Amino acid sequence: MIQTSGNSMTTLTQDALVEQLSAIVGADKVRTDADSLETFGKDWTKIYPPKPSAIVFPKTTQQVADIVKFANAQNVALVPSGGRTGLSAGAVAANGEVVVAFDYMNQISDFNATDRTVKCGAGVITEQLQTFAEEHDLFYPVDFASAGSSQIGGNISTNAGGIKVIRWGMTRDWVAGMTVVTGEGEILELNKDLMKNNTGYDMRQLFIGGEGTLGFVTEATMRLTRTPKNLTVLVLGIPELDDVMKVLSQFQSTMDLTAFEFFSDKAMQKVLARGDVPAPFETSTDFYALIEFEAVTDADMDQAMVQFEKCMEEGWVVDGVISQSETQAANLWRLREDISETISEWTPYKNDISVVVSKVPPFLRDIDEIVTREYPDFEIIWFGHIGDGNLHLNILKPDDLAKEEFFERCGKVSTWVFEIVEKYQGSVSAEHGVGMTKKPYLEYTRSAAEIAYMRAVKKVFDPNNIMNPGKLIDA
Amino acid sequence: MKVLVAVKRVIDYNVKVRVKADNSDVDLTNVKMAMNPFCEIAVEEAVRLKEKGIASEIVVVSIGPKVAQEQIRTALALGADRGILIETEEKLEPLTVAKLLKGVVEKEQPQIVLMGKQTIDSDNNQTGQMLGALTGMPQGTFASEVAVDGDKVNVTREIDGGLRTVALNLPAIVTTDLRLNEPRYASLPNIMKAKRKPLDTTTPADLGVEVKSTLSLVKVTPPAERSAGIKVDSVATLVDKLKNDAKVL
Ligand SMILES: Cc1cc2nc3c(=O)[nH]c(=O)nc-3n(C[C@H](O)[C@H](O)[C@H](O)COP(=O)(O)OP(=O)(O)OC[C@H]3O[C@@H](n4cnc5c(N)ncnc54)[C@H](O)[C@@H]3O)c2cc1C
Ligand SMILES: Cc1cc2nc3c(=O)[nH]c(=O)nc-3n(C[C@H](O)[C@H](O)[C@H](O)COP(=O)(O)OP(=O)(O)OC[C@H]3O[C@@H](n4cnc5c(N)ncnc54)[C@H](O)[C@@H]3O)c2cc1C
Repeated sequence: MIQTSGNSMTTLTQDALVEQLSAIVGADKVRTDADSLETFGKDWTKIYPPKPSAIVFPKTTQQVADIVKFANAQNVALVPSGGRTGLSAGAVAANGEVVVAFDYMNQISDFNATDRTVKCGAGVITEQLQTFAEEHDLFYPVDFASAGSSQIGGNISTNAGGIKVIRWGMTRDWVAGMTVVTGEGEILELNKDLMKNNTGYDMRQLFIGGEGTLGFVTEATMRLTRTPKNLTVLVLGIPELDDVMKVLSQFQSTMDLTAFEFFSDKAMQKVLARGDVPAPFETSTDFYALIEFEAVTDADMDQAMVQFEKCMEEGWVVDGVISQSETQAANLWRLREDISETISEWTPYKNDISVVVSKVPPFLRDIDEIVTREYPDFEIIWFGHIGDGNLHLNILKPDDLAKEEFFERCGKVSTWVFEIVEKYQGSVSAEHGVGMTKKPYLEYTRSAAEIAYMRAVKKVFDPNNIMNPGKLIDA
Repeated sequence: MKVLVAVKRVIDYNVKVRVKADNSDVDLTNVKMAMNPFCEIAVEEAVRLKEKGIASEIVVVSIGPKVAQEQIRTALALGADRGILIETEEKLEPLTVAKLLKGVVEKEQPQIVLMGKQTIDSDNNQTGQMLGALTGMPQGTFASEVAVDGDKVNVTREIDGGLRTVALNLPAIVTTDLRLNEPRYASLPNIMKAKRKPLDTTTPADLGVEVKSTLSLVKVTPPAERSAGIKVDSVATLVDKLKNDAKVL
């Protein structure tokens, strides 16, 4: 079902639109060719057919402000577009909107070694920031499989999480300050990069995870941190789903982990079938945990061994491997990180859900039971950032089922899954945002009163509903 | 039969190597070290020979600083039976290493010496050959397949444009190439077992070898940085650039 409510209420002709945008950014920074419209009109979801009316590439915050003012005056809907790796159709323009792409705002500047901060244009690629940090003997810890394409502006607007959240938190924790253009075209400099600034409402937090519905992020000062030492990876074979969390708390009882991920054997077999990553074990178990930690001294390594032995004694873990080099660490990570990309071949139906860590086992059991009962013919792939209580449920499309029918049947799964999410007081979107795909389910996590306040906030910053309309909430 | 495997502690293959500011050497401070990848392949091959019932004991030897014990422990975890560290802080050249290994070969009398065709730090590709010359043992270098057949070993070698199989009389030296096998991960239970396996330390002096460098390192420079790519606006410009700038058409 394709249902969007972005508007293109403008009375401007296409020519006039292009002309006026060109007047702001220059003719070479406005594109209307079919290729660009197709590419910049959609994100990773690829469910909604893209139909933007133009793509505009601003180079400065002032140009962004001018575009927003123009859009208000002419009633043109705008969709901000980052690396378009979003998984909730947040950066989709399916209703004749103008896409504002930040690709040319990709400068890194003002590195400050004392503050350990650096300024990024919204279009800086996540990996570009990671590399920059590395070159300055520092570390930008937010990381995930799409970091080579996603942008800092997109990361902030989705409050991206990823594989290191258990130790370093979400994108939110790394934004020292930011420049945004509000839905009225006002430029706000938020927080002045301060560590401490208790001067009332912290408006950064509204734009972080705001999915471009209140304003556009044009620049951000990002924090960097010490480079972790000798990150070492364990992969453990765990026969029972219930025991995964016991392993987590056992390791956490004496160690600070930098990652705790899990994946099912079905997920791993798909990755191994590609033939370019070595198998960790000769015999498989139903589930695996990937644990990463800093092995600075021998004592750290000994701790890991002690905890591993304890988990073996308890029977939670039956086998384990450990990286002896960075190459091996990288290869073990690929078992987890390559899952998303590998299964995309089966047009998976995805859910990104979370509960508090202690509730993960019963929550998983409930969901697994319902999905296997109702859909014995579907292949279910589990993986996720389980150390954060975050699970990715993926249902693979059987070859003989048409895409439409598959998604329709999965739609019913969603309702059941989200009822369980609600029962466990969890989130219908742990880190991928709401966009269009999760909008109908927002009420399973947010109360009616909360959603009403969200609408009210939207009205304050974007009174004319110009900014990414139809995403997250309906105005 | 007894198999001797030589392993070296080198800068991790995945590390982006940096050169010291004064160009005197590669910067090794806080850099992750690991077993040379070709040595990993040698260990794996030895373990497979043992699993097939051909090898009865695997002795692993490393020459280097005390911390090189880590790489020996890794080899023990992968399936080697006993380790020998020849401890030295000196910079090592292939001839010195070959002389030291000869000392170990004389003591241990292995039927096969397995080693990497080269190490990724100095890329010499000499040690196996020199050891062959010093001991008079036959050598099968760049191995992509090793098949023991009675008192012979058939070694398939990767050579320019193809493969060449040589039959060597045992005892023999085999140096490994990349395609010989895919090394396994060290399992945690085996790492724990490896802690109890014997690891002896000896010195070059014990083996009667003087470690003295005959080379002096003049200068280390990083490779030239690649210039950034450009975007072209049409196929015609692309063809023109390929013809006139890149000169590849
Ligand atoms: C293989 C794969 C793995 C992934 N793994 C993870 C993961 O582990 N954790 C995780 O959190 N996410 C993950 N994602 C999802 C995605 O990468 C993140 O949501 C990412 O932050 C999106 O960034 P982007 O630049 O691609 O944003 P886009 O997809 O372009 O946009 C995301 C949202 O932000 C808005 N937006 C973009 N730029 C701006 C701006 N400058 N100002 C205001 N709004 C803006 C868009 O309108 C949209 O609503 C994964 C995606 C893929 C494809
Ligand atoms: C000796 C001394 C040392 C101090 N050192 C520090 C320091 O190191 N760091 C620091 O941050 N502060 C410090 N403070 C300031 C103070 O202790 C903090 O601001 C503290 O958080 C105030 O808590 P309170 O319960 O006393 O709040 P109050 O003073 O009673 O109230 C503070 C504000 O919160 C509001 N408020 C109170 N309760 C609620 C509620 N339940 N819901 C909504 N609003 C409410 C009040 O209306 C008021 O605006 C120090 C104060 C003193 C006297």
